[in-house]
Amino acid sequence: MERRIVIKQILIMAGGLALLPSCLKEAGKSTILLKNINIDLDQENLLGEIAETIIPRTDTPGAKELNLHLYVLKMLDDCYSDLEQKQFVNGIEQLKDFVHHRHAKSFNKLSITQRQNILLDLEKSKTLSPELFAFYTIIKQRTIKGYLNSKYVMTSLIKYELVPGRYNGYFPVKSA
Amino acid sequence: MSNININALKTNTYDAIVIGSGISGGWAAKEFTEKGLKTLVLERGRDVQHIKDYPTTNMFPYEFAHRGELTLAIKNENPIVSRCYAFKEDAMHFMVKDKEHPYVQEKPFDWIRGYQVGGKSLLWARQTQRWSDFDFDGPKRDNFAVDWPIRYQDIASWYSYAEKFAGISGNSDGLAELPDGEFLPGYPLNAVEDYFKEIVKNKYSNRHVISARCAHLSKPNQVHYDQGRGKCQNRVLCQRGCPFGGYFSSNASTLPWAAKTGHLTLKPFSVVESVIYDDAKGKVTGVRVIDSNTKETTEYYAKVVFINAGALNTNLILLNSKSKRFPNGLGNDSGVLGKYVAFHNYSARISAEYDGKKDFATDGRNPAGGGYIPRFRNVFKQEMNFKRGYAAGFGAGRYHETDNAGVGSSLKNNLLKAPLGPWRVDSHMMGETIPKESNFVSLSDDKKDSWGIPQLNISVDYDENDALMKKDYIEQLTEMFTEAGFKNIKPNIESQSPGLDIHEMGGVRMGHDPKTSLLNKWNQLHTCSNVFVTDGACMTSTSTQNPSLTYMALTARAVDYAVKAMNRGEI
Repeated sequence: MERRIVIKQILIMAGGLALLPSCLKEAGKSTILLKNINIDLDQENLLGEIAETIIPRTDTPGAKELNLHLYVLKMLDDCYSDLEQKQFVNGIEQLKDFVHHRHAKSFNKLSITQRQNILLDLEKSKTLSPELFAFYTIIKQRTIKGYLNSKYVMTSLIKYELVPGRYNGYFPVKSA
Repeated sequence: MSNININALKTNTYDAIVIGSGISGGWAAKEFTEKGLKTLVLERGRDVQHIKDYPTTNMFPYEFAHRGELTLAIKNENPIVSRCYAFKEDAMHFMVKDKEHPYVQEKPFDWIRGYQVGGKSLLWARQTQRWSDFDFDGPKRDNFAVDWPIRYQDIASWYSYAEKFAGISGNSDGLAELPDGEFLPGYPLNAVEDYFKEIVKNKYSNRHVISARCAHLSKPNQVHYDQGRGKCQNRVLCQRGCPFGGYFSSNASTLPWAAKTGHLTLKPFSVVESVIYDDAKGKVTGVRVIDSNTKETTEYYAKVVFINAGALNTNLILLNSKSKRFPNGLGNDSGVLGKYVAFHNYSARISAEYDGKKDFATDGRNPAGGGYIPRFRNVFKQEMNFKRGYAAGFGAGRYHETDNAGVGSSLKNNLLKAPLGPWRVDSHMMGETIPKESNFVSLSDDKKDSWGIPQLNISVDYDENDALMKKDYIEQLTEMFTEAGFKNIKPNIESQSPGLDIHEMGGVRMGHDPKTSLLNKWNQLHTCSNVFVTDGACMTSTSTQNPSLTYMALTARAVDYAVKAMNRGEI
């Protein structure tokens, strides 16, 4: 127990999202410490696949490589209400059922197009259950935000300037 | 025993005591120590040393566990301070948490505080405008509060003095209602801010859009380098503390300057319980301090005491300083202490879009934040169905706006190559509120804080004048935006409580008459000559300007007067 506390503090001090060393993992449990929600390893892996479907690897890293699904879980654990957390977790199970019902397979056995179509159907549907709606809204928004705010994007693709040292109020751009 | 007392008396005795290390306390410390007085600065919070104690200042967004957001637990534990725009993951360590320092809201009031060395000077919005005689003359002309005992000519040279040292960027705009100062180069308006400025100038003879004047070093002078400060680097992450000293704070400027004189003693963790009045001597001899950690009580002594605890806490200290001579609080013969508290009405915004000027965007960041519209209502004469008026901020910006629809590589591409959206413009009102006896603070009869000091009751609210003024702001800005061809104009009439403007003022107001005011024209208690108040508590009225620059000038002026009076043997 003490050790868990110490590790937690290290994570807090590091200020970022960090992974626990794998030797500390309990079988079947999520790979990050979560205080309020219970996510098992299968669910976590599914979230990884969904996030990767939202932002896939192209010639640059995708969601899984950037651990965006773990950022989604971190935010869900710390920044959302009990209700939203419950809806999200139940939403994962509803999604599994939805996928199984349609394809008689699990999400990670589907082709990329099938995966995308599942998510696009969720996005367009006006009759989603509150659980699926919460689940999809949160994972989509957080994956996008986590991506745009990731170290990789902020240092390699859309550079964030900590010290701009300038301001130009008439910066010429091509008008659309 | 008596030897110990004598030694304690000696080691705990200074020439001057300053209560509080925020924007005005820092100035008092600088002025006293420069004049050679042995000065004790008491700060209730912890020490925050420039650069060394800015833990988040160089962090990238991805280095924050929640990317800058607040956790739900923090929001739930801190409903009050969470409403403040600056209370985010990067700066929340500089702000008081709700539970640490409770107070009594007789009416809803968001009291935003920064209990550490430097106080809220680390966090302020850095907007700095002078008052004019249209402001100082307000209460007399419009028959509210009491007449200010000073006019612009009394303070003009002190504005100059404060501006030169602090470093204020701005343009000389030649407006009678917003006097020019000792400016470093102003930050420029951008394409749409300039466009709006022209539209407003052509349509209205008495309305102006100027570059916001701010306490940033656009081009430092030697006096700023001497403080160890450098040019503002346009980070606009000021609330974290600036490693360049690009904006003015007590931590970057006045306190290290005071320390260099060798005359400064700074004691953090020192909660002032009360100011000690000696009935026999007829003046204050010092202050009673509770160590915030050990809760041990110590007395410190000085010839003169400046109370710069932050407007409402200054009220609290005076109310809690009871003696035979002043049973209702120090200097409070009139019963006016704690009353006529006022603030700035920030409860309306308006936003819109503009389709023009598509050849331009902005590059880098503007620390001034954009434009400023000085008060244009009731300036030269009373003309509206409400008293006084409002200033307004005005800013325009263009952003890469992402299309978040869909999934997969097309979404990824959209996110990375998001096109520039239209110009978005935004304004917020800064309304003068009228000080009233019914807007007051007082000591709680039964509730105490962790140090046994009575909690502060706060009973402050908007009134009908505020509502009429707010309506006019929305109408006028809508008209001005329409005139400029802005589209999708959206007024936002927020329901924010007083206090969230963080411009609370008054309660220990200046005035001519001891029967109706606490302080004379030198910020000196009418009835206790060695106590001065130069923070927001001294304000007789609020006008519309961001107040900190006026506190700086009043403080330097009051210290100058106090030291001269001490030399003459009057204090």
